[in-house]
Amino acid sequence: MSSETSPARKDGSPSVISLHGVSLIYPNGTRALDNLTLDIAKGSFVFLVGDSGTGKSSLLRLLYREQVPTRGEVVVDGVRVDLLKRSRIPYLRRNVGVVFQDYKLLADKTVWENVAFALQVTGTHTRELLRLVPRALNRVGLSHKGEMYPSELSGGEQQRTAIARALVNNPKILLCDEPTGNLDPANSTEIMETLLHINLKGTTVLVATHNAAAVDRLRRRVIRLADGKIVSDEDRGYYSLANGTHGGLGQSTVLP
Amino acid sequence: MVDWGRVQFFLSEVRRSFTRNPVMQITAIGTVTVTILMLGAFLFGRQTLTTIGDQIVRKIEISVFLDDNVDPVTARKLEVQIAADPRVLSVTYISRAEGLALMRERLRGQIDMSLLKSNPLPDALRVRVVDPALVTQVAAHIQKMPGVATTVYAQDVVTKMLRMGDILSRLGLIVVISLVLTAAIIISNTIRLTVFARRREIGIMQLVGASAAYIRGPFICEGLIHGVVGALIAIGLLAAAQAEYLPKLQAALPFIPLSIAGHDELVFSLALLGTGACVGILSSWISVDHYLRT
Repeated sequence: MSSETSPARKDGSPSVISLHGVSLIYPNGTRALDNLTLDIAKGSFVFLVGDSGTGKSSLLRLLYREQVPTRGEVVVDGVRVDLLKRSRIPYLRRNVGVVFQDYKLLADKTVWENVAFALQVTGTHTRELLRLVPRALNRVGLSHKGEMYPSELSGGEQQRTAIARALVNNPKILLCDEPTGNLDPANSTEIMETLLHINLKGTTVLVATHNAAAVDRLRRRVIRLADGKIVSDEDRGYYSLANGTHGGLGQSTVLP
Repeated sequence: MVDWGRVQFFLSEVRRSFTRNPVMQITAIGTVTVTILMLGAFLFGRQTLTTIGDQIVRKIEISVFLDDNVDPVTARKLEVQIAADPRVLSVTYISRAEGLALMRERLRGQIDMSLLKSNPLPDALRVRVVDPALVTQVAAHIQKMPGVATTVYAQDVVTKMLRMGDILSRLGLIVVISLVLTAAIIISNTIRLTVFARRREIGIMQLVGASAAYIRGPFICEGLIHGVVGALIAIGLLAAAQAEYLPKLQAALPFIPLSIAGHDELVFSLALLGTGACVGILSSWISVDHYLRT
């Protein structure tokens, strides 16, 4: 019953993501998430850590409704995502940007076109497009690479293109699933800096990662999953639990 | 105001999906062409058969033989009465004398008519009806009239013609449905392939919040192009075949009216085009929808 209650929000800020008693069991019987309860405050920057296969990606998929929980409530920006009608899913996705380890860029479109694509397919007027795309590229520092194709970019630049695409609709929440998984340390640092900047402008950022260096350097809230359960939730955590306890941090909440 | 940037983007998406697998596109269009060609040829054949059948059946008349004691005045009254029936096309009065003359004419040289000492024939009326299907009904009605001895008509021919028309219609319907189904399956397979080739793009569209209707758009358009282009080719071929072969066929079979009136040709072409378009839209819709739901 250890994971049934999450630590109360100490700062009292309203939560933008809220899970209550969420379980996810795949058709093959695998229990990906086990009775998870969790609140994420608006405007916060949160790391999701844990070994591979502990449910980090499954948790993110629930938030942009790629997956429906077997049990429990999922609330994103005040909307019960688990009850969302299929026809309403696109509107949720415009409010939730998602970034993946493999970037998911279209190889036959330029950086500019890849970012514009997110607006074009949601029926944005061309006039808006010409205003919003340069702004998004500017936010990730790619203004000068708009005409290049993904294959002409470094991994870090490709990921920044993907982040620009996720941001161009100006979402309230940015979900990142292993955003630095394919990148070298220098590029990884760059990406984390970019995410931090985005968070400073008010977007809630949730990053599932194995990047210990970044987690330890940024010292943000760290939610740790093991076997589909939350095993620790620290406000200024480290990547590994041992680090956190040795650091002697008063604010950390380590669940038994 | 129209946002031309959006229109341009949509058209480029359609073009991209269409040029991705030219062989499949040609196969899909070709199938529609063959289907519409056969549909057109079949409808033409049925039309011709119906016309021939109509002409044969139209010649069927009811012979109404009157009682011996009916005088010419009563016979005339009966004639007027039958002619007043809206189902009746024409009524001809044939007196027993005329009837005998006609019989002599018909049987000349076969039977020695001089053996006849008196005229054995009763007075008669020849009745034609507006629709062959009404022959039996009208004959039964006339049979009940006072002064009518008996009614005779080629019952077998009528029922056989009617049944044949019925069978041909049903057979045609089955053929047409299976042809349309084949075309639909091939188009939906083609669309499924294009959907598969673009699944990465569709995944990204769904991720950034494109609506299902938006994602569907280019694929439906592709299916529509299959249907319309295929139908247009078929209509062109049918028109060429008509111009080339119909006069020759007509010359070979002068007794069968083969031409389709000008007005019908346009309706006919539009119906074929509409069928092609519907098959294209529906089959692509089904296969995209199937993909988006799974």
